[in-house]
Amino acid sequence: MAVLTIAEALRDGIREEMRRDPTVFCLGEDIGVAGGWGGAFTVTLGLADEFGHDRVLDTPISESGFCGVAIGAAMTGMRPIADVQYGDFLFCMMDQLANQAAKMTYMSGGTVKVPLVIRAPVGSTRRGAQHAQTLEVFFTHVPGLKVVAPSTAYDAKGLLKAAVRDDNPVLIFEHKLLYGSKGARSEKGAVMSAGEVPDEDYIVPIGAGAIRREGRDVTLVGKLLTVYRAIEAAERLAADGIDAEVIDPRSLVPLDRALILESVRKTGRLVVVEEDNQMHGWAAEIVALAAAEAFWWLDAPPVRVSAPDVPPPFAPVLEAEYVPSVERILAAVRALF
Amino acid sequence: MATEVLMPPLGTNVDTATLVIWYRREGDQVAAGEALFAVETDKATLDVEAPATGVLRAVSVAAGEEAPALTRIAWIATADENLPEDGTECTQGAARHAAQADAASDAQESATAAADRRFASPRARRAASEMGVDLRAVAGTGPSGSVVERDVLAAARTQERVPPATPLARRVAADAGVPLEALAGTGPGGRIQRGDVERAPAPAPGEAVESVPVTGVRAHIAERLGRSSRETAAVTLTAEADATAFARLRGEIVAEGLRASYNDLFLRLLARALREHPRLNASLVGDRIVALRRVDIALAVDTERGLLAPVLRGVDDLSLREIVKRSAALVDRARRGECPPEELSGGTFTLTNLGMYGIDAFTPIVNLPECAILGVGRIKQAPAVVDGRIEVRHRVWLSLTFDHRIVDGGPAARFLQRVVQLVEEPGRLLAGAPAGP
Amino acid sequence: MTAAAPAATGTAVLLDLYRCMLLIRRFEERCNALFLQGRIPSTLHLYIGQEAVAAGVCSALRVDDYVTGTHRPHGHALAKGVSPRAIMAELMAKETGCCKGRGGSMHVGGIEVGMFPAVAIVGAGSPIAVGAALSAKMRGSDQVSVSFFGEGATNEGDWHEAMNMAAVWKLPVLFVCENNLYGASTRFEHAFSVPNIAGRASAYGMPGSEVYGNDVEAVRAAALDAVARARSGGGPSLIECRTYRLCGHSRSDACAYRPDEEEADWRRRDPLPGTAARLRAAPHDVAQHRLDALEHEVAAEVDDAVAYAEASPSPDPAEVAAHVYWEGD
Repeated sequence: MAVLTIAEALRDGIREEMRRDPTVFCLGEDIGVAGGWGGAFTVTLGLADEFGHDRVLDTPISESGFCGVAIGAAMTGMRPIADVQYGDFLFCMMDQLANQAAKMTYMSGGTVKVPLVIRAPVGSTRRGAQHAQTLEVFFTHVPGLKVVAPSTAYDAKGLLKAAVRDDNPVLIFEHKLLYGSKGARSEKGAVMSAGEVPDEDYIVPIGAGAIRREGRDVTLVGKLLTVYRAIEAAERLAADGIDAEVIDPRSLVPLDRALILESVRKTGRLVVVEEDNQMHGWAAEIVALAAAEAFWWLDAPPVRVSAPDVPPPFAPVLEAEYVPSVERILAAVRALF
Repeated sequence: MATEVLMPPLGTNVDTATLVIWYRREGDQVAAGEALFAVETDKATLDVEAPATGVLRAVSVAAGEEAPALTRIAWIATADENLPEDGTECTQGAARHAAQADAASDAQESATAAADRRFASPRARRAASEMGVDLRAVAGTGPSGSVVERDVLAAARTQERVPPATPLARRVAADAGVPLEALAGTGPGGRIQRGDVERAPAPAPGEAVESVPVTGVRAHIAERLGRSSRETAAVTLTAEADATAFARLRGEIVAEGLRASYNDLFLRLLARALREHPRLNASLVGDRIVALRRVDIALAVDTERGLLAPVLRGVDDLSLREIVKRSAALVDRARRGECPPEELSGGTFTLTNLGMYGIDAFTPIVNLPECAILGVGRIKQAPAVVDGRIEVRHRVWLSLTFDHRIVDGGPAARFLQRVVQLVEEPGRLLAGAPAGP
Repeated sequence: MTAAAPAATGTAVLLDLYRCMLLIRRFEERCNALFLQGRIPSTLHLYIGQEAVAAGVCSALRVDDYVTGTHRPHGHALAKGVSPRAIMAELMAKETGCCKGRGGSMHVGGIEVGMFPAVAIVGAGSPIAVGAALSAKMRGSDQVSVSFFGEGATNEGDWHEAMNMAAVWKLPVLFVCENNLYGASTRFEHAFSVPNIAGRASAYGMPGSEVYGNDVEAVRAAALDAVARARSGGGPSLIECRTYRLCGHSRSDACAYRPDEEEADWRRRDPLPGTAARLRAAPHDVAQHRLDALEHEVAAEVDDAVAYAEASPSPDPAEVAAHVYWEGD
């Protein structure tokens, strides 16, 4: 059992999968260059030393192209792990993801599989509109893709391994403030997410959520960074006598509906906290789930705490306003009692 | 073709109504459906829409005047059209107009209902249904006063359980006079269904026209008023006030768009007077007289379930606009039987008004543990001597009953005198801050 | 960029090429008829006129080589060996179709013969073909990968990214451009400032050649050359095949944008009669009755495909969510 950051846990997970299965390989921009960073956030640092540059393949700056390459490789017996420097660049490969990777199995009538992993950093981190978006929901709306969002080191490694072994395209969204990247790639305002990770092989099943804190009075659902904000809010609410339960779905597609519904049926109150823009969003989906399937257990309207419907701003004061704060969560929860 | 504008019939017991304001002047172009004038009964003030498009002509009832329901008060016609002779009645128009007025009245009621609806969460409804708790009698402590699960759980500990029954079964049972408590339900979860009600034996015929057990609200009234009558040293003072300025002020306020009732004005006025005379705003607590700073006035409301006195809290801190809004909601809740228990107690003074029944003066009973109650009679036009001349004035009788154990006749009389003065010279006191009336 | 010199093709091979082209032609003519009868519930992008490209290229491939087709994929699929029954059943939206009725005309394929579900987004198939080639190289296989695309696709970013990566990594890829002179209705000259596509290969340090796409022997020769280079680790090639649609872009297209003389000219250059004439001439000297027999054989195969498709069940509506995710081998 070692205490690892999320970046380290991902790296260990990739290393173990590459050792276990020779068809697993990494590709992406600046992931294996000697003297480079090991991807934008150090996740693949050092892997080329062990596996060589054929299996830690540096690509030209061609997001759509290398996504298509990964799909072609995945359909022909390989298990690529594609690294996207910033999730925002996923838009460059949107056709390959949404039209190709997601649909090959379906439009082939189940005769072709695409065991592909795409890793993408998200989250607002003083980089402004094109390097700091929260993008998960774009992909949760595309049937054929699986989407996970680990918020702990244990989950990061376990979900990565599960994703590599899955026979479908899986997008792993990683939050820049949670990586625990070190040195020159460390992030201002990072949240300590390092945790114990077993030495032995394990996976976290895709589709299974986690209860981060048990409570009776209100269910807080968050993902990535907002899990931590929700936990902090829950601790402060305890002082008011409000006992909050915090749910981290971990997988967005498939979604552990049962876990969320069970919690909402217990507490009767739901606050979904997301760093996403609100309109037609992820939190809306969770709220709709509760409204449709836990309606008679609700003791207050289910509500969302989201980023406003604006691009991620640059100025730190604006960014602080943009990312849901603990105070906003507290206000939303208190209004329900 | 010329269309009659009629005074609408506003209810089964109302045969006249007062026209509060014309929104259009004679000669103005009006459009069918736009609010043309406002009328008032003792119950409510309502806008009435223009029945046709055209020019408003031959207005025969002015603002402030009363007119019998279904009488013509104006015409809508083209500018140069000959109007029918006086006395010709357009019954078709009358009927249509009556229907419109009803619709308007319904709309007003439903709007009020929506604004004042008390919400119960789905979880609370589910719990109430499972535990047989009557939600209407549950006090809400959730956001915006909504009933949440904890309120139902609390109520379940104290409230008499209502047997679970389908809404249809409840209605059929009520119509047939069958008590649900006596039935066994055969529906899901033992829920009483219509069939269960229909299979129940008819109630045995009795000799009395009506025999009602003294329970619930009635029992509460019997106990409270009986105790007041037994325990207080009640004295009633009466005084007549000139309400001409008061009535005019009210007309102005209504014309400015705020539907204030006389009771609302009395609430505001009493708040002022009680602040000045805290001995009347007092309670007997054990062997101590406690004069209270905050003015929480109970308002006697006649409901189907009996007399209720819901309390409007902190009246002295409310603008007239707030008083109007809150008292309307409060009375509505009381009439619907949706007042939570804490809203029905804890007043510091009570206002009762029998003016709408044509009562001039009476001897109200003190609402324990309060010290005093003011009864307001009908505001009517009567000859009065003004500056040595007889004039037609608005007059009102005020009846103050107080508990002589708490306060003596002198202070009580001075208080009533102050109330009379405020009625006669309301000034802008009643309109007051904040913005507007 | 010289056209590969037509290698001497043996009679048996030329007959096979001709049969392949004939099958594509008759199959699609029947598709057109079925469409007009309302028995194919979709538009069709027919390959009529371009058969020599698919037949020539695929004749140079092994069954385990990979192909990405386009939105006009019937010819690619038939030439790569997908069964006419499975394609026809797919076009008629049957559960027995090569995509179980989930794909339709624009996505026909058969992974068992190396044909991916056809990619109907212009240009998007090229990176996928590169990925298959990368995979082959990583697995130590000598498989090659072919990306078919129209000339219009070479104005898509994906195509350039794919060309570049294939060249940088020296991957066994054939980029086969079917330049039919029109991107939908847009003439070549309106979308290109260069005289041909083959020249674009030089931008990526890749050999490029232009061949007459209606000459099946020329196409095959160019493909053989490129495949040999690819299999031996020599990297990718671009082959531009000049050809022409002898039908509309899709079923709703009357081709009003094409000059009559141009159409008439290309109709005279129809690759089927041309190939048949070669077969009848020396040195092949194939008798007409053998060609007639081939016609009958192909007609029977198409009849069989239609009968099979007609007799097949539609997908079960309750199974609409099946195959969104992989359900196991």
